[in-house]
Amino acid sequence: MRSVLALLVKFFFVGVLGVVLGLVVTFLTIEQGGGFNAVAAGPWLAFPRNGTANIDPYARAMLAHSGELPMGASEGLAFVARGDSAGDAFDPDCDYKLTGAAPPARYWTLTLLSPSGFLIANKSLRHGFTSSEILRAADGGFTVAISREARPGNWLPIGDARKFILVLRLYDTEVSAVAVALDESKLPKLIRGACQ
Amino acid sequence: MSRLDRFFAVLLWVLGVLFVAGIVHVVAIFALPDLEPKDAFGRLSALAQPARLTVLPPPRPGAEVMPFADPAVAQGVCLFDLSQGAVRLQGKVERDRLLTLSFRTPAGEVFYSMTDRAAQHGRIDVLLLSPAQLEALETEADDEDEPPQELRLVAPSRRGIIFVTSLAALPSERPEAEERIKAISCDVEQTPQE
Repeated sequence: MRSVLALLVKFFFVGVLGVVLGLVVTFLTIEQGGGFNAVAAGPWLAFPRNGTANIDPYARAMLAHSGELPMGASEGLAFVARGDSAGDAFDPDCDYKLTGAAPPARYWTLTLLSPSGFLIANKSLRHGFTSSEILRAADGGFTVAISREARPGNWLPIGDARKFILVLRLYDTEVSAVAVALDESKLPKLIRGACQ
Repeated sequence: MSRLDRFFAVLLWVLGVLFVAGIVHVVAIFALPDLEPKDAFGRLSALAQPARLTVLPPPRPGAEVMPFADPAVAQGVCLFDLSQGAVRLQGKVERDRLLTLSFRTPAGEVFYSMTDRAAQHGRIDVLLLSPAQLEALETEADDEDEPPQELRLVAPSRRGIIFVTSLAALPSERPEAEERIKAISCDVEQTPQE
């Protein structure tokens, strides 16, 4: 009789431990973000399938949790950078340079956001650039200075953020169809400058 | 009991824990979208009237409608409910001005998207139907030879969200971008009564 009771207690503990472990793993994967269908090109990550009906269950759960509404596949594709081209996470006390050219698209926009996807208040009320307003070099390329202090040319202020990310949205682009074979050199580079 | 027996006994229990954890994890991932207190449809209901295109306020720090919104675009939203009838989205689009449309489930997942380049003769005309409504429409129009002028789209769910997005290439162009959205209408289709 006692051995049966001990067995039941053991089963009970296995059940409880399993449920707790399962929920913790679920919580961590959702908080971590990402998904299975990521397309990486240097520091830039995109999730082309999130804008289609072909979205995977992990991405569904994450998007439902965050409230983000991804762009539809025909609308365009968004690339997110959480660090520089050297692979280090962004440090808001450092200056960064975004330089190069954007992949072919009818328009693109570059936005500086907090890691959870919200705008960061700053005095100059600038949160990003569009392909129409950016100052370009003679060859069509461009450079954006990302820093707390004002810089000449295209300056994207970090504000008082403690963490930030960059989002490059390509509107009406053919890239999504070939995103699987995306070349890092087709996207702008992110180079860290001086740190305070 | 030898040491090996004891090891296998413990291993069996550990595998049991992992098995339960795996099942719980998979069930939780699939159940999560339905367990969120408010889906995208619910959150947008506070801002937009049903079956009418409403221009959303521009995102500002601390006053965003949703995360990862693009501050460079103007957005309009139309919440549809096909139990009231099919929904027609139509209007003029400006040449060479970016306008994108996405059709979404109440959770915000995209089931169809398009840009202004899909417009015919400068107009966008989409009829959003349930499978039953499409069937009724097709049997009704069986004897007509003319192909339909509009794009007929079958929605996977009764309710859903349509987003109309227009780019303000410069911050000063936001009013024009909002005008381009207001040029599109979203109405319940009046079906002829028999």
